[in-house]
Amino acid sequence: MTQTDILSSEQEDLRLLRESARTLFERAGGSDRARKLRDARGGFDAEMVRELAEAGVFGVAVPEDQGGLGMGLAAGGVIAEEVGRVIAPEPVVSTIGLSLGLLRRLCPDHPKMAQLIGGEISLAVAWQERGPDGAPADATCRYADGKLTGGKAWVVGAIGSHGFLVVAEQDDGPVLVLAEADAQGLVIDKQTQADGSSLGELSFSGTPAAELASSGAVLTALAEAVADATALAAAELVGLSERAFEITLDYIKTREQFDKPIGSFQVIQHRAVDLNVMCEVAQAGVREALAQMDSETDPKVRAPIASRAKARAVTAAKKITRDAIQLHGAVGYTDEFDIGLYLNRALVLSAWLGDDAYHRRIWFEAREAEGAAQ
Amino acid sequence: MTDWSAMTDAEFRKEVRQFFEAEYPEELRHLPHRPKFAEIEHWHRKLHAKGWVAPAWPAEFGGMGLNAAKLLIFYEEQQRWGVNRGRDMGVQMVGPLIIKFGTQEQKDYWLPRILSCEDIWCQGYSEPGAGSDLANLRTRAEIDGDDFVINGQKIWTTMAHDATHIFMLVRTDPDAPKKQQGISFLLAPMDQPGVEVRTITTLSGETEFCEVFFDNARTPRENLVGELNKGWTMAKALLSFERIFIGSPSLAQNALGQLESFARGRGAFDDPVFRDRFAQAALDVEDHAALYARFADQLKRGETLGADVSMLKIWVTECFQRITELMIEAAGPDGGSIGPLQVGNVSVDVLASFYKARPTTIYGGSNEIQRNILSKAVLGLPG
Ligand SMILES: Cc1cc2nc3c(=O)[nH]c(=O)nc-3n(C[C@H](O)[C@H](O)[C@H](O)COP(=O)(O)OP(=O)(O)OC[C@H]3O[C@@H](n4cnc5c(N)ncnc54)[C@H](O)[C@@H]3O)c2cc1C
Repeated sequence: MTQTDILSSEQEDLRLLRESARTLFERAGGSDRARKLRDARGGFDAEMVRELAEAGVFGVAVPEDQGGLGMGLAAGGVIAEEVGRVIAPEPVVSTIGLSLGLLRRLCPDHPKMAQLIGGEISLAVAWQERGPDGAPADATCRYADGKLTGGKAWVVGAIGSHGFLVVAEQDDGPVLVLAEADAQGLVIDKQTQADGSSLGELSFSGTPAAELASSGAVLTALAEAVADATALAAAELVGLSERAFEITLDYIKTREQFDKPIGSFQVIQHRAVDLNVMCEVAQAGVREALAQMDSETDPKVRAPIASRAKARAVTAAKKITRDAIQLHGAVGYTDEFDIGLYLNRALVLSAWLGDDAYHRRIWFEAREAEGAAQ
Repeated sequence: MTDWSAMTDAEFRKEVRQFFEAEYPEELRHLPHRPKFAEIEHWHRKLHAKGWVAPAWPAEFGGMGLNAAKLLIFYEEQQRWGVNRGRDMGVQMVGPLIIKFGTQEQKDYWLPRILSCEDIWCQGYSEPGAGSDLANLRTRAEIDGDDFVINGQKIWTTMAHDATHIFMLVRTDPDAPKKQQGISFLLAPMDQPGVEVRTITTLSGETEFCEVFFDNARTPRENLVGELNKGWTMAKALLSFERIFIGSPSLAQNALGQLESFARGRGAFDDPVFRDRFAQAALDVEDHAALYARFADQLKRGETLGADVSMLKIWVTECFQRITELMIEAAGPDGGSIGPLQVGNVSVDVLASFYKARPTTIYGGSNEIQRNILSKAVLGLPG
């Protein structure tokens, strides 16, 4: 096979993957399903998780010899975009990026790997901590004698998960442990998010937990997993933005004021074009970033690529969803119209793992550091 | 009655500030939602007893009769202390219209009831097919004996579920040659069999606005304000007043104050980029206030405002939105969290501010419509 053959056959794989993911989500009810789950305060749908697992979704970026599909982050991005299009509440990106991202790098033989890939369980990753001023702070959560003490904040997927992968400190350095969801001395505070999901604030007081890995490798793997999840969250935002734009485009074609569709006013037309361009730029940038991350192994290079993706996707999603509300007029401000669900989901995904201003800073700092090293 | 004009602006500010600080209930400061009347009734009673419900109305009608400069101070102090505007559609919208166009009987009857909040008003202009194109409204009112009979539907009626009366634009002559003709301004009671109110949930889960259905609802003929079929011109006359109100710096100033304490508490000012963006927002607010003062002076000199007043609304609403977006940025990983966020001893409801800012560019004449007005009426561009 020539280089181009390989490239196009890879793209064919991704196209097929996109089609099957889209069909699966559409058949399940598209964005209506997200609304129903939100209204039922049900978190996510365990049946859907199993269906996604059957389609190979969770193991998509896990190497084949570890039980996955070995299709890389680019394929993960395809799925994340489809998740974004229907604002599905299942923990797809956090599972592919964070929990499996950590386990496959630190303990690929652990039985939880297969269970995660098979959709039998979900595990939430608890790694950030809140300082006294409410902002993120250095880690102080301790692990000693098989027990955890301290707290973790902003845990995605905490509600409904079967356990927690906790990054903690022990005497001789960082450690990754597994605490069961019903473990003794574990208290979970819910913080409700704009899209109806929750972030967990965990507090441990002598909570039993099993060690999975220790030493400096834990932090390296964490940084890698966070970079993966960051880039995948960017892809989810791209899918979300595209769909929000499509909904808006349909609306401005049909809503009439002054005896014509509002989409016939030139100012609206230009706005729509700008949003569309922004959407395309974001899609191209994010897809390229994911492909680059697949071909790079150096964590120092991969991290700023993830930042590039998230910075772009957040900027685009914020602008697109907010303008979408404006172009809808008052109906855009109602719960009844779907466009508000997209705005709310964009708020949550933008705040998760750093917004655009944050990632532009990280990107720039990495670039400077690289320049200094050369 | 106090002669406010005898007081210097500084004295006046001090008096207003002292009153708010001493009397305004702590639990109502910086309310993140629009309250129902019952929630703020005790405060309204105090304000009413003091004679401060209608700062802009002439004293002869029970207002404070403030000039533009003192009015601005009053609103500034109100915002500074996080004093809720209350259910002020009566005071801000229908009251001034009755004062300007109403008969003596209408003034005598309605104005005291607005001040006491015996009547609580909502604004029934928009309809499903009449948003930006308000003149497209279809709700009909027909004369039947001593009454008007009303049929049709209003939508986006803010707080209609907690109002006793609605002031509305209705079509009284469907055969008029132009859409803008044949529209009248009517007052109607809400508590009657022909009126049905359904609340609409906003994207942040609040019930702020409603649909109002009229099925042979009735209102006495004397509730027509101004001439029959001349409602459009009157409503327009009210608009320039509404636009300076809606273009006032207060919402943005208040949000800026919240942003500052939140960002400081969260350590966001350590970041020079954030500092720059904060400074930008702060100066946007300050310079807007200077422009606002220019328009306020015009009012003070007794001049009527031109179409150019629209620029205030464009600037300040978009600035308000940017400020709330900065709050989200300062919140970092809490940026998607519902409810108040604690920083030190203050708590700031970041998303509530964000949500509040979104529709300001839609209601009161959307910012696109304001730009259309400015480009044609002020810049004289063709088309
Ligand atoms: C929170 C809130 C509270 C409200 N409260 C009240 C109330 O109490 N009483 C009441 O009567 N109404 C109320 N409204 C309704 C408000 O006045 C209307 O939303 C507004 O007039 C816009 O109409 P629309 O929503 O139908 O949007 P549309 O007119 O359908 O506009 C949709 C989009 O098209 C744009 N557009 C329309 N025409 C043009 C044009 N010619 N050129 C360029 N762009 C154009 C608009 O700017 C907007 O972005 C409220 C609205 C909101 C959001």
